[in-house]
Amino acid sequence: MSNWPNEATVDATVVSGNPEQSTTSEILTIDPALIAEARRSTRVDVAQTGFNPALGRLPTIETQGYSLNTVLDFVPSWTARRIPMKCIGLTLPDGMEFMPPKLDSTTSDGTQLRKIAPPKPETSEPVDPDKPRKATRIKPPADALSLQDRLFYLLQPPLESWLAGQELIMPFEPFAYQYEGIAWLFASQAALLADEMGLGKTMQTITAIRLLLRSGQAKRIVLICPKPLIPNWQREFKTWAEELPVVTVEGNGPRRRMLWTMPGIPVLLANYELMARDIAEIPDDEQPKFDLLVLDEAQRIKNRDSRTAEVARSIRRRRSWALTGTPIENRPEELGALFEFMEVIPKAASPDLRQLSKLAKKYILRRTKDLVMKDMPPRIDRDAELELTDAQELAYRTAEKEGVVQLNDLGDSITVQHVFELVLRLKQITNYDPLTGESAKLERLMADMEEIAASGGKAILFSQWTKTIDWLEPHLKEFNPLIYHGGVPTKQREPILARFKAEPDKHILLMSYGTGAVGLNLQFAGYVFLYDRWWNPAIEDQAINRAHRIGVKNPVIVTRFICKNTIEERIDRVLREKRELFQAILGDGDNENVTLSMNASEIFGLFDLKARHKDGSKSIGPKPVKAIADAA
Amino acid sequence: MSGAAKTDPLRLGFMETMEVEGRGYIGGLLITNQNGRPLEFQCTTPVKPNRTQEILFGETLRPWLLGELIGCTLLDRVAIKPSLIVTSNLHLLELRNHTHIPVACTNDARTKIAEQGGTLRIGGNILRFHEAHGVDAELLSKQKHLLPDSADLAEPLERVREALAETIKTVFAR
Repeated sequence: MSNWPNEATVDATVVSGNPEQSTTSEILTIDPALIAEARRSTRVDVAQTGFNPALGRLPTIETQGYSLNTVLDFVPSWTARRIPMKCIGLTLPDGMEFMPPKLDSTTSDGTQLRKIAPPKPETSEPVDPDKPRKATRIKPPADALSLQDRLFYLLQPPLESWLAGQELIMPFEPFAYQYEGIAWLFASQAALLADEMGLGKTMQTITAIRLLLRSGQAKRIVLICPKPLIPNWQREFKTWAEELPVVTVEGNGPRRRMLWTMPGIPVLLANYELMARDIAEIPDDEQPKFDLLVLDEAQRIKNRDSRTAEVARSIRRRRSWALTGTPIENRPEELGALFEFMEVIPKAASPDLRQLSKLAKKYILRRTKDLVMKDMPPRIDRDAELELTDAQELAYRTAEKEGVVQLNDLGDSITVQHVFELVLRLKQITNYDPLTGESAKLERLMADMEEIAASGGKAILFSQWTKTIDWLEPHLKEFNPLIYHGGVPTKQREPILARFKAEPDKHILLMSYGTGAVGLNLQFAGYVFLYDRWWNPAIEDQAINRAHRIGVKNPVIVTRFICKNTIEERIDRVLREKRELFQAILGDGDNENVTLSMNASEIFGLFDLKARHKDGSKSIGPKPVKAIADAA
Repeated sequence: MSGAAKTDPLRLGFMETMEVEGRGYIGGLLITNQNGRPLEFQCTTPVKPNRTQEILFGETLRPWLLGELIGCTLLDRVAIKPSLIVTSNLHLLELRNHTHIPVACTNDARTKIAEQGGTLRIGGNILRFHEAHGVDAELLSKQKHLLPDSADLAEPLERVREALAETIKTVFAR
């Protein structure tokens, strides 16, 4: 049965666009024939119970007509537009371009050089992205505050690829710690590179200078060093940065003044004495300005009131670097003088130990051989404790007895100089007896030298006195000794070193501490003799490191001659006890050079005398820098 | 680089992008000489797509944002136009559709590009180019000799990432 209604009303709304736009409405009656047809074709299984009779009625369909809009007035639209954004830009400064080095890679002394080996191009295996590459990146300095400054450093390539990319010719590829040193120097406005002697401060400095010039960070650089080291720096610049024009300040006054003030010289080399003399004479308005001032052997300005220190501080510059293997020779206050030069402490400031330690962490880079050169052949120290010969013993005891009596007789008028003179007299007797010429040290030296010469080895001997060196020369004739001390004119020194290196029968080089202790590369010598002891082990270490330095292939045997029961033994004990006193400033692992020379009280103590003068803490050891200056 | 211009015929561009949390993306372009020495650097301020852009661009959002929007802006801005743009982000290859300069993506842990047809090996790097611009590989292979054998085209990208991180830290994180 079907319950279809006879009539249905349908509310049909024609929607076109907006329903609110309907305009007409009417009732529509459906044709009964259509309803009948619908009944035939469609059956609806609802309301079969007939409970709702309303369902039986035909629906009434109402329709509403709407007019269609021909233009749509709302279209969700979107077009891709560029989102505005700003850019932050950095144009890196122009660097200097130099003539590339010659392909013939040989130094003036005939040493064959080679290029840094570039990383081997991989031809079959793809790069392993997870494999760490060797790369020393330059870090922005802590005091670089502007974004542009920091980006400049961050965007520099790793040193390895930078150097390789410039076809830098080097005698050997820098060690990792040297790359670190170069990167540190490059990014430092104020820096004290205090690597132990022999670790390559010169090379690191030259390479950092080269990169500063290449990257446009510097256009004018001056390097100040002790006069005897000028040829050494010239040679090193030639080796490590052959393309850099290096001009040495020399000649008469007008010429020197022209060199100081002439623009366009990338690297100027001068010694301390000329710096102190010339700069002071140049009027204020003509004072040269440098992008970088480097002080080599910077302990020369440890006395901040000295003329040299004052002039060094007065030089106009943007960066200040100091190089020294012995940042503290005697007193920690010496560091203050260097920090003042570096302009990291106010003028005449006296930082305490805690402040010094803090400043050292920031501005000093110091590595020791123990830390970085684990693979380097060792330095073997052996103390040769010798008994004085009979004649020496007699002379020594007599001199000591008379000397002490004289000192006591002086009473309150005794000065440290009196004691010092006695020490020197006794030390000289331990070297040889002036009356008989007997020498326990010479006997031992001859024995050792016979062995060394027989094996074709070479040795360097250091003494405090040129007189001792001159006395030794004839005794060592069979070993063809060469002499290198302050009495040798500067121009003759380089050829002596060249002969010592080149001539196989030259088995021993006799040097004074003052002239031979710094800056020379003698790593082909396997033996070092310290014929007498310097006042400061730091200077002795400098001397030893002429031989025990980078490039050394065999262990270096160092023999210190110490005569038993003499002043030498007592001095040695005092110095040994003081070695570690200032390690706190420069950190652990520094067991080589941080030490003190003896002060007046300690010298008095050598003879059980007490310092009776107000200058009891004054250091009385002869100044090594003075010796260098004298030698120059 | 007046002097360098005569001797350095090849300029390389290294482009990277980085997301800044909550602020969108920034991009950086480093121009170097053939030895990797930096000559110019540009980076953008952060740009963030809105919700409509995210919906409508779908998967093409990043190529559009990084390649077209950021990439074109950077390329317009640099004074020294590179001969090649290297990136480690495949989305940046889209930039090639808006410039005549070849754009190449290097192989790394993310891109995992393997050597195959259409790629080019330079030094230790495998470069992949935009599919629609296969001629780029051939073109570049003719200039390959201008780059040193030791060239590592992925390394400068690390520098760009570091510079972007520094920029975010210094400027945009305030």
